[in-house]
Amino acid sequence: MKKSSNSQFEDEQLLIKQLIDGDAAAFEYVVAEYHNIMLSIARAIVGDAFADEVVQEAWISAIKSLAKFEGRSKLKTWLLHIVSNGAKSRVRRENRMSSLDEGWESVPSDKFDQTGHRIDNVYTWEEATPEALLANEQLQTIIEETFQQLPALQRAALTMYDMEGIKMDEICNILDVSASNVRVLLHRARTTLHHSIEQYQDNK
Amino acid sequence: MYQCKDIAEEVNNYIEGDLPLGKRIGLFIHFIMCSCCRNYLQQIRSTISIVTTSQPKEKDGTNLKDLAKQLQDACNEHEH
Repeated sequence: MKKSSNSQFEDEQLLIKQLIDGDAAAFEYVVAEYHNIMLSIARAIVGDAFADEVVQEAWISAIKSLAKFEGRSKLKTWLLHIVSNGAKSRVRRENRMSSLDEGWESVPSDKFDQTGHRIDNVYTWEEATPEALLANEQLQTIIEETFQQLPALQRAALTMYDMEGIKMDEICNILDVSASNVRVLLHRARTTLHHSIEQYQDNK
Repeated sequence: MYQCKDIAEEVNNYIEGDLPLGKRIGLFIHFIMCSCCRNYLQQIRSTISIVTTSQPKEKDGTNLKDLAKQLQDACNEHEH
């Protein structure tokens, strides 16, 4: 689902001109819009320790190169590639890698019998729409907390694919992982979030 | 013949359409026969919708107004 955007800045060419002209509102808009996802990507590639610094450097580098931005991609994509490249360089310097298997627990095997059939019953969830479910503050908190506990690579894949609608090949380029690995990350992130929502439903 | 455990492992690839046709048909047949897995598929779809609607964010202590100002200043310095 696309985030609601500020119509004043919908015209990207105009937004870039406003940034080059030093318009304060334009800077506030791009930072509010893109800082969090840039941080997500940096954390996924280089880890928590260096992510803030990498994002800071990416912003400065992007701002200084704005005049050269030719609009061949969306501003968001361009920014995400700048932070991704910065993070990858940092990874090479620091010689560290994020592991795909970090923090992953597979589907609990006690849910199935020896033949692979489910032991427990699975019921439909009470409220049908996400809006109805999210009207409950407790569930919103559970989702927020579960999301924070996901490994950084899973958070980044989920944010880009499910929340930002970024295409799979673009995500592969940004995170420098194969499509099958992005699918694994998505599967793990969604499964963990499903477990949390399921527990909330069961305890109601 | 696919089992419930296979559904748990492949449900996201099924939703994304990232499976070979034979496997996709096999899982589809399992969904027809197994109400638990049909409900599970629906729950995973709901999970995606809930997360997409909820839009959880990275924890971040950055003061975004300060950062915007800092970048604006950097831009002005670069231009002049």
